Amino acid sequence: MSTTVSNPKTNAKFNQLGSMAKGNFIQRIVRTREITLLCVIIAIIVVMSFASPYFLSLNNFRAIAIGMAPTAIIVIGMAILLASGGFDLSVGSVMALSSTLVALLLIAGVSIPIAVFAGILLGGVTGLINGVLITSVGINPLVATLGTMSIARGIALILTEGFSISNLPKAFGYVGRADILGIPLLVIIALGLVLVFDLLVRHGRFFRQIYFIGANEKAAMLSGIAVNRVRIVAYVLTGMLAALAGVLLASRLMSGTPTAGNALELQVLAAAVIGGASLRGGEGTILGAFLGVVFVALINNSMTMLAISIYWQVVVTGAVLIAAVTLDMLVLSRTNKTNF
Amino acid sequence: MLESFVSGRAPVLIEFQSVSKQFGQNLVLRSVDFQLRAGEVHALVGENGAGKSTCLGMMYGLLQPDKGQVTISGNRVKIENPAHAQSLGVSCVFQELSLAGAMSVAENIFAGRMPSHFGIVDYPKLYQQAEALLEEFGLHIDVTMPVDRLPVSLRQIVEIVKAMSLDVKILLLDEPTSALTPDEVQMLFKILRKLTARGIGIIYVCHHISEIFAIADRITVLRDGQQISTSNIAETSSKHVVSQMVGGNIPQLTDRTNNTIGPVVLQAKGMTAKGVFEGINLELHKGEIVGLAGLLGSGRSQIAQALCGLEKSWTGELRVDGKSVKYKSLLQAIDDGFGYVPEERKTEGLFLDFSIRDNVVAANLCQYSQLGFLKRHLMASSAAKAINDFDVKTASQEIPIRALSGGNQQKVMLAKWLQKSPKILIIEEPTKGVDVGAKFQIHAELRKQATKGMTILVVSSDFAELATLSDRILVVREGQIAGEIGASDATEDSILNLASVAVPHAVNAI
Repeated sequence: MSTTVSNPKTNAKFNQLGSMAKGNFIQRIVRTREITLLCVIIAIIVVMSFASPYFLSLNNFRAIAIGMAPTAIIVIGMAILLASGGFDLSVGSVMALSSTLVALLLIAGVSIPIAVFAGILLGGVTGLINGVLITSVGINPLVATLGTMSIARGIALILTEGFSISNLPKAFGYVGRADILGIPLLVIIALGLVLVFDLLVRHGRFFRQIYFIGANEKAAMLSGIAVNRVRIVAYVLTGMLAALAGVLLASRLMSGTPTAGNALELQVLAAAVIGGASLRGGEGTILGAFLGVVFVALINNSMTMLAISIYWQVVVTGAVLIAAVTLDMLVLSRTNKTNF
Repeated sequence: MLESFVSGRAPVLIEFQSVSKQFGQNLVLRSVDFQLRAGEVHALVGENGAGKSTCLGMMYGLLQPDKGQVTISGNRVKIENPAHAQSLGVSCVFQELSLAGAMSVAENIFAGRMPSHFGIVDYPKLYQQAEALLEEFGLHIDVTMPVDRLPVSLRQIVEIVKAMSLDVKILLLDEPTSALTPDEVQMLFKILRKLTARGIGIIYVCHHISEIFAIADRITVLRDGQQISTSNIAETSSKHVVSQMVGGNIPQLTDRTNNTIGPVVLQAKGMTAKGVFEGINLELHKGEIVGLAGLLGSGRSQIAQALCGLEKSWTGELRVDGKSVKYKSLLQAIDDGFGYVPEERKTEGLFLDFSIRDNVVAANLCQYSQLGFLKRHLMASSAAKAINDFDVKTASQEIPIRALSGGNQQKVMLAKWLQKSPKILIIEEPTKGVDVGAKFQIHAELRKQATKGMTILVVSSDFAELATLSDRILVVREGQIAGEIGASDATEDSILNLASVAVPHAVNAI
């Protein structure tokens, strides 16, 4: 049947599109966000090494790595949600709530494993609430997670009356403060999670479904993908990762802080988008989002090193976000020109 | 080109003089000479990739010619963009509707040009203008109604009226009837005739050859970017046109003779959904292709969707393999061996920015994974098989499916489900907006699967298609099965007669 109307000449247009899709070497590099970001990150490191005598030191890099570890863990969930066409504003609050809950339980004499488990479970439950509100009830993700963001933060403040909970048992601080082969355990955990989830999201059957949902939810449903189930799992996972970040933060600081992670959700969103995710859904990788976090952390550190006001750092983060998305739009409009 | 045009004395509106277009090293349009005269409907036909879209794109300023000249009313022009095209009197209605669903009919028609005072929209005036414009075409539509509450056919008409609200001399229509039922097509033709009577020239791109012979004055056939012929419609035949399109050999019709019908696999008894369909009794046998015919709004789609769990609120009985079932979701039906190919490939069927490979595997990720990890080589070989089986015209399976023509997209969407070899395949409008060649291939593939034992329910408003494809046809009228037509008695007319005893709502508008 296939030979009756086939004509090699009609393939001409598609051959051309095929070569476009592959692109030449430079185009391919530019289109892979991870590689561009990595180049920019290396460039910043090189420039800063000359600009500031304190930048290129082990201590500074340790500080950067430890500082961004919780964000790196949270950005995993955010990148998955963005790929599925959703997002979660409650991550910062959930981090704070889990850190205070763990601290309160430990103070009350609960054993460390149970307290940690409870903290992470709390994140899972918040994620489940978000997921159900968004999928089954049908509330817009912005509204639903804005609500839970506020509620989680409020509960953390009520539980602690606004104060940090310190005097935690010494053993609890081990994970947050230990080094393995000179590398902070906190950083190893964050990197490990990033790598595992990057692999899962690239090749795992379950996580691959997220991209289909993000690209075209209706088509995904009609293709037999359990759209709601997958989306709820993504929110639960994001909540659990945020809670884990909260537990690790409490371990590092040896206190539960109800005000931790304020405005973190927006930083995480910005980092994920800089790393190649999009609010349209259907794209982005964990590695890209992680590099987005590294990039933002480096920019902030560099400005501190150059003694630029902390207030300017906020401005620069915003400007970088807009620049990254603008670049995206320019690349997009160029590649789409031939097919209208 | 022929010298004796019917409308030979009418002025030329738009003219292509040896226009060529190149993408990369590939010529997609080779030295095309083309004239549109005032008051004519000029059909532009060809297979996918023949250059029809490229021609339209150049007339509407989406593409610029690399060689040759374009003149409008005798003046050489370079059409920069759609806004420029509109200022030159060119308007285009695309295959995909571009209306804003939640906005009213009137707002859609005058989008961007609403009458206002100091930035405040003058709604009474807007509604009055919109009504007046629709009146000209003999249409009485509530202009305050949100567009998405209109039937698809009327939306298509609103789209054309929207195009006409500009001062248009040249109207480009890309597959205007792909969503319309035969009655609605007649309504559209009347409107087009009113337009040509005013001296407007219409370029008509369409895959339905019979339609072209009903409306067009002249026809230009393109193949592989070359202009094969331009002739008066009276001086050619549909057979001749088709053979010019495909380059000589006309594909064979699907052969129904040697198929064997097996036992009943699906049985519906008294299925009723209030206000949608009522008392539906039907049986599907193993290895047969059953057509479900009906006009838009007859309930044909809802019946098919109720069978596979997409439409949930019905009463009655449904048996699959003798077992009484009531699916709560499509997922459950899929687990039970169903496949469902939706009508709208762009919004419901495909992931447009994803590669052909990803689209082929989407319905069946389990099959391509081991221990929860997707295996690239399994997906790649499956996609390669789909491309080969269906003769999908593409250089690589990595290409985003958006870049493929409608026919090739449709083939991939079907391949996605056939890879899963469902027991019962429900397919809506299998060849909507697809060219002749792709249509034959899709039909042949469906027949092949049926011969292998698949049960296929085809829901279509293309009655000619159902007549050639199905073993028997169930005709739905106003939510009830009005009758059954066997393969030997099935013709476009016999189905239409059974389907349209009552006047459908959309036609009231004319």
